[in-house]
Amino acid sequence: MDYPYNIIFAGVGGQGNVIAGRVLAKAVQLEELRPVVGETFGASRRGGSVFTHIRVWDKDASPLVPKGTLNLLIGLEPIESLRASVKFAGSDTIAILSKTPIYSSNVHRGTEHYPDVERIVAIHQKICMKVIAIDTDKILRSIDAFRSLNVLLIGVMAGMRISPLSIDSIRAALINVLGSSEKNLEAFDIGVSQTTQ
Amino acid sequence: METVFYCFIFGMVSSVTMDSGLKSEQLMSGNIAFARGSISAGIGFCTGYPGTPSTEIIETLMLYQSKTNNIIEWAVNEKVALEAAAGASWMGIPSVCVMKSLGLNVASDFLLNLNLSGTGTGGLVIIVCDDPKGHSSSNEQDSRFYAKAANIPLLEPSTPQEAYDVMDFALKLSQDFQIPVLIRSTTRLSHSSALVKTENISSGKWIAHQNLPKGLYNVPHPDLRHLDLLGRIEKIREQFNSFTLNTIPIDWNDIVIISTGVCQKYVEEAQLYIEEAVSLLGLVTTFPLPDKLVRQALEEAKTIIFFEETDSFVEDEFRAIASTQDHTCRIEGKRTNLVPAHGEMNVDVVLESLREFVTLMKQPTMPEGIHDAEKHLISRPLTFCAGCTHRNVFYALSRVRKRLKGNLIVTGDIGCYSLGVFYNDVLESMQAMGSGIGTASGIGQLSKFGLESKVVSVAGDSTFFHACIPALIDARHHNADLTFLILNNATTAMTGFQSHPGSMKIGEMKHMVRIPDIVQSIKPDVFTRIDSTDVSQLTDLIYSTIKESGLKVLLLDGVCRLEEKRRQKQGDASRIIVKSELCRGTDCKICVRDYGCTAITWNKQTEKAEILQYQCVRCGSCISVCPHGAIEEE
Repeated sequence: MDYPYNIIFAGVGGQGNVIAGRVLAKAVQLEELRPVVGETFGASRRGGSVFTHIRVWDKDASPLVPKGTLNLLIGLEPIESLRASVKFAGSDTIAILSKTPIYSSNVHRGTEHYPDVERIVAIHQKICMKVIAIDTDKILRSIDAFRSLNVLLIGVMAGMRISPLSIDSIRAALINVLGSSEKNLEAFDIGVSQTTQ
Repeated sequence: METVFYCFIFGMVSSVTMDSGLKSEQLMSGNIAFARGSISAGIGFCTGYPGTPSTEIIETLMLYQSKTNNIIEWAVNEKVALEAAAGASWMGIPSVCVMKSLGLNVASDFLLNLNLSGTGTGGLVIIVCDDPKGHSSSNEQDSRFYAKAANIPLLEPSTPQEAYDVMDFALKLSQDFQIPVLIRSTTRLSHSSALVKTENISSGKWIAHQNLPKGLYNVPHPDLRHLDLLGRIEKIREQFNSFTLNTIPIDWNDIVIISTGVCQKYVEEAQLYIEEAVSLLGLVTTFPLPDKLVRQALEEAKTIIFFEETDSFVEDEFRAIASTQDHTCRIEGKRTNLVPAHGEMNVDVVLESLREFVTLMKQPTMPEGIHDAEKHLISRPLTFCAGCTHRNVFYALSRVRKRLKGNLIVTGDIGCYSLGVFYNDVLESMQAMGSGIGTASGIGQLSKFGLESKVVSVAGDSTFFHACIPALIDARHHNADLTFLILNNATTAMTGFQSHPGSMKIGEMKHMVRIPDIVQSIKPDVFTRIDSTDVSQLTDLIYSTIKESGLKVLLLDGVCRLEEKRRQKQGDASRIIVKSELCRGTDCKICVRDYGCTAITWNKQTEKAEILQYQCVRCGSCISVCPHGAIEEE
């Protein structure tokens, strides 16, 4: 590999962002490549912005993705996804994002307006090579697995076969890190089927 | 830190535990690697005070404590931690002391004595975790200057593997020279993970000496002790010249980049985008600077460029040695304004700085439209959790301030409640641990100069033990006129629920120290303890208390909702709802705008407030916030 393959999970605290990074890092190991995982968060209490950077390479990369070199963005929350793409997206970026917003305290207060989600998706389309926007709320509601958002999007990513990580490695990593919870595996398989069907 | 952080700790650690015992490589953060390296080096005693980004080192050591059988504990503050660790080292027990950047400021008084007296035979390694850009800190200080101030060796590992490997060397170095050794990490090393080769974990055996070593005082000749220390540091410099973790170029090119810590990785990666061959000299031993390497670099290179976080520490030391040497080398870095001397480094900053010296090959392309996209972003400001009782206190203070027509001064401290600075500007200052009550003690004596405003200071329970007690005694002694609010949730919530002397969950063999006992022994004019769930009761009590003169202390019992969640306490309280027929809508908005609990939202269609049931902890605090009685239990 000439350059590292770069993945970022963008979301808010409590969305399982960090654990999702661990799943992919394990998958990287199963592919006999070398993962490096960096996290950026401030004094993040519940609800703060969190990015997890996963670098996939045959040697150890630095912990942060350089600007413009993002290969795959997994947006757990629309506006956080946009925040990450504004910072890191390049000509090769593929974005997989959830269309379910989590409002900030200012939006709840009514002092700031949360942009229309379809508008956010459209802006992603302007700055990323390819965008897959998923109505995650609808899917997770149908299987009663609200906590499996991260796994669902990992499933979508696996099904697209766009990264150096195979479906089998990702599935094995998922079980290794999160255990064989039926809800998670169901969410993963639905994610895979979103793009392979 | 809280939730995110908490997942971080447990996500990481549980997997390490799962894999332990294997000789294969495991993914671990720099902090876990420091902990595992400490175990492998054979440490018997470890203490520190929690602080991001350092906390997981001791958390990890605690997880292994049943296997390793050593002493791992949280100290009341960093100075006491360093003293306790030095005590163990004096008695022959290998020790490690862990703290965040600002913690070393607290411990530095003792450090600048201990360096002269020595650590005895046990060995003492201090790990300090700096936070460039201040992601989770009130400054972005470069703690490496303490190594220079104390004349003690400094090591800066660049990867989790080096973090693991450096521990054994650091401990032996400390034992050989009976000198404290400082290891400096940064957020990006402490909190990033990579594969690390480790040894098996086993229990050590430590036997304490029965007597102290001789001469644990620097008088009557601190100058001679200093002279002795200078001699030792020169011997260490000699050792550092051949230290194996330093990366020395095989081929020296015209451009040599010298970097330290995690910046080494950024420079390495930046080389992917540079056409010319440049050499990298990566230094782990950064004080005393290995002089032979400096001289070699000056002979081989035409241009030397420095990348380090955050100040020009190595660069300055290098320039000092270079000034005693004949050379024609151009030296570039922060001193020549080539490299920023603030904030965090990354590959982009390295490339931008190198632009005039090299040809950049594959420029990462930023898509058009990024600037336009940026305009659509909305902020995600930090806020208290749903149902956090700290919010109640600050809301009460904002009401009291209104009643006093603005004549209320509120000084603050370090903890989750520091968020009070973002909460309608209720909290007006936030400096060092314990500084809220310290500064209030001064302000509370200014009636002589015409001060009429009421003075309030706020601190949490862990901070109270850490640094507030001397300031509170000072306030009593000088009869300062102030009200001290102790926000007690009985845990160190900010960093992920570490225990402190007043915590509810005191382990075996530990003794609980009660805040009321301490406060009452100082004999304030008023001491009242109440629960901070009922906002209107809280507002009235704070108002009536601060109207009295003298030193008043209010112990406000609260609940950390994250801690509650972590313990999976399920309340059986009724749902809280907004009766929309009673809600005054846009004319009022007190609940969403002023009180601002994250479980209350504004429904734009109905123009009424609404409770987000999935967020609500059913504490009922908001009920008395609504002046129209629209919020109630279902």
